[in-house]
Amino acid sequence: MAGIAKNHDYHMVEPSPWPFVMSVAVFLLALGIIFWMRQWTPWMFFIGLTAVLYTMYAWWSDVIKEANNGVDHTPVVQMHLRYGMILFITSEIFVFFGFFWAYFDGFFRLDDVEQYARVAGTGGVWPPIGVELFDPFHLPLFNTLLLLTSGTTVTWAHHALLQNDREGLKWGLALTVLLGVVFTAVQALEYSQAGFSFSGNIYGATFFMATGLHGFHVIIGTIFLAVCLLRAIRGEFTPERHVGFELAAWYWHFVDVVWIFLFASIYVWGSWGVPLSH
Amino acid sequence: MVIGQFLKKVGAVVAAAVALAPAIALAQDAPVEPTGYAAPGQIHLQRSVTPVMDSIVSFHDGILMWTISLIVVFVLALLLWMAFRFNVKRNPTPASFTHNTMVEVVWTVLPIIILIVIAIPSFGVLSDQLTVPDGERKYLGSNIFSFGEVDVPAPELTVKATGQQWYWDYQYVDQGLEFSSLMLQEDDRTATKPAQPRLLAVDSELVVPVDTTVRLQVTADPQGVIHAFAVPSFGIKIDAVPGRLNETWFNSRETGIFYGQCSELCGKDHAFMPIAVRVVTKEEFATYMAAFEGGDYTAANATLAAVQ
Amino acid sequence: MTDTAHLQAHATGHDSASHAHTPTGWRRWVFSTNHKDIGLMYLVFTIFTGVVGGLLSGVMRMELQEPGIQIFHGLAGMAYGMDGDAALDAGKHMYNVFTTAHALIMVFFVVMPATMGGFANYFAPLMIGAPDTAFPRINNIAFWLLPPAFILLVISLFVEGVGPGANGAGGGWTIYPPFATTGHPGPAMDFVILSLHIAGISSILGAINLITTIFNMRAPGMTLHKMPLFAWSVLVTAFLLLMALPVLAGAITMLLTDRNLGTAFFKPSEGGDPILFQHLFWFFGHPEVYIMILPGFGIISHIVSTFSRKPIFGYMAMAYAMVAIGLVGFVVWAHHMFTTGLSLDVQRYFVAATMVIAVPTGIKIFSWIATMWGGSITFKSPMLWAVGFIFLFTVGGVTGVVLANAGADRSLHDTYYVVAHFHYVLSLGAVFSIFAAWYYWYPKMFGYMYNETLAKVHFWVMFVGVNLIFFPQHFLGLAGMPRRYIDYPDAFALWNRVSSVGYYITFVAMIVFFYATWEAFKRKRPAGDSPWGVGATTLEWTLSSPPPFHQFTTLPKIESTNAH
Ligand code: HEA
Ligand code: HEA
Ligand code: CUA
Ligand SMILES: [Cu+2]
Repeated sequence: MAGIAKNHDYHMVEPSPWPFVMSVAVFLLALGIIFWMRQWTPWMFFIGLTAVLYTMYAWWSDVIKEANNGVDHTPVVQMHLRYGMILFITSEIFVFFGFFWAYFDGFFRLDDVEQYARVAGTGGVWPPIGVELFDPFHLPLFNTLLLLTSGTTVTWAHHALLQNDREGLKWGLALTVLLGVVFTAVQALEYSQAGFSFSGNIYGATFFMATGLHGFHVIIGTIFLAVCLLRAIRGEFTPERHVGFELAAWYWHFVDVVWIFLFASIYVWGSWGVPLSH
Repeated sequence: MVIGQFLKKVGAVVAAAVALAPAIALAQDAPVEPTGYAAPGQIHLQRSVTPVMDSIVSFHDGILMWTISLIVVFVLALLLWMAFRFNVKRNPTPASFTHNTMVEVVWTVLPIIILIVIAIPSFGVLSDQLTVPDGERKYLGSNIFSFGEVDVPAPELTVKATGQQWYWDYQYVDQGLEFSSLMLQEDDRTATKPAQPRLLAVDSELVVPVDTTVRLQVTADPQGVIHAFAVPSFGIKIDAVPGRLNETWFNSRETGIFYGQCSELCGKDHAFMPIAVRVVTKEEFATYMAAFEGGDYTAANATLAAVQ
Repeated sequence: MTDTAHLQAHATGHDSASHAHTPTGWRRWVFSTNHKDIGLMYLVFTIFTGVVGGLLSGVMRMELQEPGIQIFHGLAGMAYGMDGDAALDAGKHMYNVFTTAHALIMVFFVVMPATMGGFANYFAPLMIGAPDTAFPRINNIAFWLLPPAFILLVISLFVEGVGPGANGAGGGWTIYPPFATTGHPGPAMDFVILSLHIAGISSILGAINLITTIFNMRAPGMTLHKMPLFAWSVLVTAFLLLMALPVLAGAITMLLTDRNLGTAFFKPSEGGDPILFQHLFWFFGHPEVYIMILPGFGIISHIVSTFSRKPIFGYMAMAYAMVAIGLVGFVVWAHHMFTTGLSLDVQRYFVAATMVIAVPTGIKIFSWIATMWGGSITFKSPMLWAVGFIFLFTVGGVTGVVLANAGADRSLHDTYYVVAHFHYVLSLGAVFSIFAAWYYWYPKMFGYMYNETLAKVHFWVMFVGVNLIFFPQHFLGLAGMPRRYIDYPDAFALWNRVSSVGYYITFVAMIVFFYATWEAFKRKRPAGDSPWGVGATTLEWTLSSPPPFHQFTTLPKIESTNAH
């Protein structure tokens, strides 16, 4: 076979160690999660996490190299990446779907008389008795505005890139990353003031599961955008070729939309007419 | 029971094909059907003693079994015909058609019609099961294509069954009387109730009156796991979920002991927490209840003929 | 790491087009980015796991052969060094562990990886004229995540489940709480949960790869409506995976936090709801059963057409029937929950919605028969499996329609009737389609021809065996035998004995299978590029057997009317 040139635009990827290494890393991480949750040791978790993060770094470094070598990422390969991202986001939507289901099952069905233990344990009202809610129009609203703004700054960066305005690209991205970090910080602040906890009642469980998972996605998105910022600073991306940037922007918008749903259904609707803590 | 006969023939054919298991011979002369549990080698639904089970039996044996058997036979016949008629020897040059709107419409519309025909009685049977009688409503019984002819009185007794790992607690709700019912271990069974079936006999049967609608509430220990309360000859099965009160009903027209088994995986003794409902005459039940007043199940049970 | 470093330098040092050489040694497999090699690894993996899952069911059948407990107290005694009642109790739990492991292995580590991992990976790209899949590295990790997931499942068997002397998770493959939470305080259930997480991620990644491949890498001229039906089935299945598995992942994550972090999702006393888990599980679980069968539908279409020497009848209806099954499959989940206490209206809806699926499925059955109609059929072994599939799947399908009627399901739910139903569609449906595909594509994958007589013997022995296992289970279910029982009232003895005898026959069939495979490798009879003759029209048959390491270096052009 050696020497037979390919006659198409697909990227025939060379053998790579990373998938296999990643599977070992994931195995360690899974063991680590169990070991930590069973309170045996946290160390396995950190070993696994480090291995996963390192492998991600190495794997995506390869991808970025391929993106930059001018050969591998032909238009059709870029199209692959876009499809891949959309499909990945679709699967993520369905993860959130499950958690929203859990939330609405509590929200709508807490006074279901057949479920006597549930009614007894919570008073049959939403939020359950003893749970103090956030005022949606304080920190959560602020965070909503933050995220919405970050949606515009990332679009600004995109437009700047299309105009070949490198400074605009960098500033737009930097601002977006900053807004993402502030969002996470505000969310952490809010968590610290919560009048309920993850354990012990259905409100805390659904609230922290949904918003926590969202927060995790904010962090991933922020890192994704930060990598794009670094690449922009290194002089990568052109008005014609910037799939990596585009995907990060898509992801960010997705995170944004999920937040809107969270804000509307959990923070606003879920606290409608309920006396609030502050 | 035409269908029962039909099924027995199918069973016999299968058995003949096996010819390996010597015990098959036993199946042919199955003994008279016992009441309240399955006969050895039985191949059909258990004998019904309630209006609800009547409708399940006629729905299953009368419509479902026929439809699905015919569909299967039809598909099998077509496949055999293909093998016979269109094998390469008999039909060396293949045709090349790929469409025939007419047949495509037929095999889309016909199943739809069949399904609608199934769905109509199906909804009736289902509604009967899920509607506790109020004394007015008519039930289908075996007459599943009618609009209901069977009278069922409103409930006169409420019993609550609570699934435990691994036995049942029963309560006569209005009377506030309770007892537990555990499977008899083999030694005890052979010693005390040798005529009762293994794995089904219990120490304390749930006693209810005949021809009386019993409202049955089912739940499980709040700290426990899910079980399910099922009595095949009554046509009832309902999950016993911690923290949730499910409700169903039955009205037995026969006296006797009717058995059921836990029907949701609940741990190591899932197979060993049977349900035994003893249906007695109304008079017997009144005496039993009177004796139970003080809360002593054994004393109450002693008013009834001993279970052998 | 030096090897890796070298490989890296190598990979990035040149223009990638100039060195399409074949990697060798262990690196070829472990670091693979080749869809055919990865497909083969999947198949080897599933043959191994299939044996494990099959042996577990064998022990179950041996136990159920007679009333009473005959095997498991002894097994438990050996495992834990116990005797008497302690061994008996441990044995009862161990039976549940076997059932759970059998089902999880068969579902997640045999059928899904064999169809969507093995055959889809190997043949979907070939059929659409693609040189490989869209994301070869993702393809490889999708495979390599399975061994760790499987190992976690195996570990779970050996760590504490319900309590001391009760190792392993025995909650059934449906892992309903509270039995899977408070009922299983030991870590075994955590291992199962993490195993499912990883297997799920593997499937999602595989699905993303296959969907992208099918949408973007079809050869010039191959429109979606010219695409072979197997590729269609893979496409639909991949979408089901993409949308169903994340919901399972969410559900078992909640299970995990309920177990370990004190959350209340499924705890009624703190406002949770155990039935919520069942909704989430079956929202995944029902599409999951179509995930297991749809690729089989695709496979059967090709085989029937090839051996009838006739193009598929009603191609468009066949493709869109699968789309319809996939879509409707998402809105019928609560037919598994008719006894949980759902309201009358809800049950009515799920009865109606569920029965609808019989219509597109019927279209498929009849279109296969119409494909055979007027054909010149040769009954080579793949065709035997395919025809066997059509018949047995119909048997399993129509009992599904019985179960769909909540009124009848009242009597049949959680009895062996359900076990019979789903083994007819799985063990006699999905597994038959896997063997059909194996014998159909074997010469293509390996370049050799197997011994046709042995393959036929395998089919017939297996056909008799599995029918004998599962047909009598309908009787047991009707007569009221509950499932997940280690011991049963004596009235059920007869048909259980027959069922167990059926297993031994099936076991013999599996030995024939391995012998036939070994014999083919030993004899090395060259198969030729297109051993099935003119009926085989899809692109894989235009390639050598086995195909070159990188096929289609120049993309094929699809000109004429029908590619399928
Ligand atoms: C490959 C897997 C597979 C497939 C394809 C199916 C297909 C179907 N299944 Fe099955 N099912 C399972 C796997 C599968 N199932 C499993 C694993 C379980 C148990 C899970 C557990 O509890 O552990 C289960 C359980 C299950 C239940 C719950 C039973 C209970 O627990 O009480 C129900 C109820 O509705 C059901 C219904 C159906 C229906 C209506 C179909 C339909 O899709 C079938 C359609 C096919 C046909 C009908 C045949 C061909 C059609 C014709 C020839 C046309 C003419 C036909 C008519 C007009 C009827 N299934
Ligand atoms: C795909 C799914 C699948 C398959 C193939 C099987 C196959 C078999 N199953 Fe099972 N089974 C389930 C899925 C499956 N099962 C599920 C979901 C449950 C429910 C569990 C629960 O209650 O939670 C169950 C439960 C179950 C029970 C009920 C247990 C109980 O309720 O107490 C029984 C009892 O007889 C049983 C027996 C068998 C037997 C004898 C086989 C035999 O057919 C096995 C014979 C061996 C094979 C058919 C070979 C397998 C395949 C290969 C070796 C792959 C080859 C690969 C290539 C060619 C690439 N199974
Ligand atoms: Cu109680 Cu099963
Ligand atoms: Cu289903």
